Amino acid sequence: MSKAFETHELRLGEEGYPAPLETAMRPPEVLYVAGDPGLLDYGLAVVGARRATPYGITCARRFAGWAAEQGVTIVSGAAHGCDNAAQQAAVDVGGTSIAVLGCGADLDYPPSSSKLLAHLRQHGAVISEVPWGRDPTRYAFPERNRLIAGLSRAVLIVEAALPSGTFSTARHAEDAGRDVWAVPGSVLAPECRGPNRLIAQGATPITDVSELSKALELVGLLAGDRPTPSMIVDTTDPVARALVADPMRPDDVARELDLDIVDVARRIARLESAGVLRRYRDGRYGPAERG
Amino acid sequence: MQAVVETATLVGVEAVPVEVQADVGSGLPSFSIVGLGDAAVMEARERVRSAIRASGLEFPNGRVTVNLAPAPLRKHGTGFDLPIAVALLVATRQLPADLAAGHAVVGELALDGSVRAVDGLLAHALAASRRGLGLLGPARGGPAVCGVPGVAYAGVERLGMLARGQFAVVTPPRTRAGMSGELELPDMAEVIGHAQAKRALEIAAAGGHNVLMLGPPGSGKTMLARRLPGILPPLEGEERVETALVHSVAGLDTRPALAGIRPFRAPHHTCSLAGLVGGGSPPRPGEVSLAHNGVLFLDEFAEFAPAALQTLRQPMEDGSLTLVRAEARIRYPASFVLIAAMNPCPCGFQGDTERRCSCSDTVVDRYRARIGGPLMDRLDLMVRVDRVDPERLLEAEPAAEASGSIRSRVLAARELARSRPATPNARLSGAGLLAACGLDRAARSSLTKTARSCHLSGRAITRLLRVARTAADLDGCERVTEDHVMDAVAFRSWDR
Repeated sequence: MSKAFETHELRLGEEGYPAPLETAMRPPEVLYVAGDPGLLDYGLAVVGARRATPYGITCARRFAGWAAEQGVTIVSGAAHGCDNAAQQAAVDVGGTSIAVLGCGADLDYPPSSSKLLAHLRQHGAVISEVPWGRDPTRYAFPERNRLIAGLSRAVLIVEAALPSGTFSTARHAEDAGRDVWAVPGSVLAPECRGPNRLIAQGATPITDVSELSKALELVGLLAGDRPTPSMIVDTTDPVARALVADPMRPDDVARELDLDIVDVARRIARLESAGVLRRYRDGRYGPAERG
Repeated sequence: MQAVVETATLVGVEAVPVEVQADVGSGLPSFSIVGLGDAAVMEARERVRSAIRASGLEFPNGRVTVNLAPAPLRKHGTGFDLPIAVALLVATRQLPADLAAGHAVVGELALDGSVRAVDGLLAHALAASRRGLGLLGPARGGPAVCGVPGVAYAGVERLGMLARGQFAVVTPPRTRAGMSGELELPDMAEVIGHAQAKRALEIAAAGGHNVLMLGPPGSGKTMLARRLPGILPPLEGEERVETALVHSVAGLDTRPALAGIRPFRAPHHTCSLAGLVGGGSPPRPGEVSLAHNGVLFLDEFAEFAPAALQTLRQPMEDGSLTLVRAEARIRYPASFVLIAAMNPCPCGFQGDTERRCSCSDTVVDRYRARIGGPLMDRLDLMVRVDRVDPERLLEAEPAAEASGSIRSRVLAARELARSRPATPNARLSGAGLLAACGLDRAARSSLTKTARSCHLSGRAITRLLRVARTAADLDGCERVTEDHVMDAVAFRSWDR
């Protein structure tokens, strides 16, 4: 077991109950908080698929990391994939983050996020509406998404298949009157159908850090001008350009660009050691995750 | 009346000399064999008795004792039939006393007096020639030992022919002297696509590196591996005999090895431990030894029993394998290039363009962890072998490079590596490796940069350098440049 942490039980209507939740759909009677209850104010929810693509992970890291650096609290579900990436990015830049769980707030679920959760209980907050020690159940997660939406001014959807839990968070956000933002993705990838559909339905597309900055100003989470690094990978190398746009295997790059495999492999390795590209777990190369 | 005939018994891949001493005396008819023979040796009594009678000769009607000396050495196999029969016939003066002089004798007898082949004839022949003897053995065994320098072999078809002096001294046929085997080996030109995997195999062939191939089922891993012997240099003189010796002892055809074709062994993952590394009673060489000087291909690498995988470490380190048994320590040669192939994940379809993978990252990590760090450290190259788009298989693409032309580059690279402290490059390590690489400033700095960005461990860097050295050899470069380091980076193992 990790270090001891503060625990609080906040009751609806009593002092200390987080204001954002009061305006949310069906606010929970009791909110179980592991960590600092003072942090429970409006934040930015960043959520996405568990089986995320490297593109999704990169976007989650980049957007959440930048927002957290500006002092915006990142709210998410600590799930594997995008959620974890977003919250870890917030932690990495020294920002604040709140994890909303579908099980007891004292449990490490999923196990792959146990380090993150342990950190948040000390330096952030892990909250839940189910009592301490209760195991995760299937139906608790859609409800958990309701709280994620409730705690935020806006929900940024990074990647989501259709239908999916992430997509349901967007529905909850609309119900609670929160903004829905989405990161557009490839029209080829099933993981990007959710955000692309949301954009078609009127969600704000977040295509760069500058867009995110403007949107955060509009919902009152940020004020004043600040520098916004571009996310575009600027390179003239044809191999890098091809792989940034569409992760591929070296064999396919060599064929598409009609180059010799030895040459392609060397170029990719150079770009990889320069931090532009990365080898994905499935053997393809694509843009490196940088946050 | 006594007689002595020289023979031998197999211990590992060695034939250890044994003397068959026969004594025929008066007394009640009996036939006993002493000298720690196994069941097969004891059964020789029945075969010898019938074979002598069937050959129109007389089985001694008295007290017959056969001793196999040295008595404390365990003897096994049916090769003692013929020497025992010859000793008895000499002792009873039915064969001239000098018949077997200058020869060791080995062979199994059938009840009708014909002489059958036994395993390990090449080992017997070599042991005999070391003692200045020829080998008198089954006529059908001739081809197995022909072409080995220093071996004199006389083949006999039936026991009765010995009595009539009809046995043939077999001389190596001069035909097919230059049989290179290239015609019989599958060619790389038949493989469409897989450019990077082919490059990995070329580097493996040039530097003797072990390769891990990751790819979904049916993507062509086996097809590629089978083509590795064709781009390896042919076996050289001493290697041919070493490899043929193991094959001879295991009862396999020795002719391909003697013709210079490198063995390719592909045991199934359900193969027993003894089948893989050798063992049993009497001990026999395992697949790793049958792959000596050749290619050991282990498909479904992660499905092999963990114990089996771990036993691979000794041969991969030493080039040989020692079985320690109560009766003896047996050393089998086992120097091979390992081509390990496995699915990228338990379901097999991670990274596949058509089928969706159903494995979570955790499951994939656990699957890959089955291989274990120490073994991974011996696999210098890792390459993905993904399924080629079926449309491409039907397209008329420009023909891929043939094995022969790849092999000529491999030969040139090996020539360049000849003077190193250890050959092939896969055996380089430590200071010798660094000195052999002679990294220039650019290569050094790019290596440190990569090590940092890809989180490489010290061992991973060693592997990287070995591969970079071979890549440089293939380019004909004395020093390893940044390009070669990058070649190696492309084939590094999975990131932790």
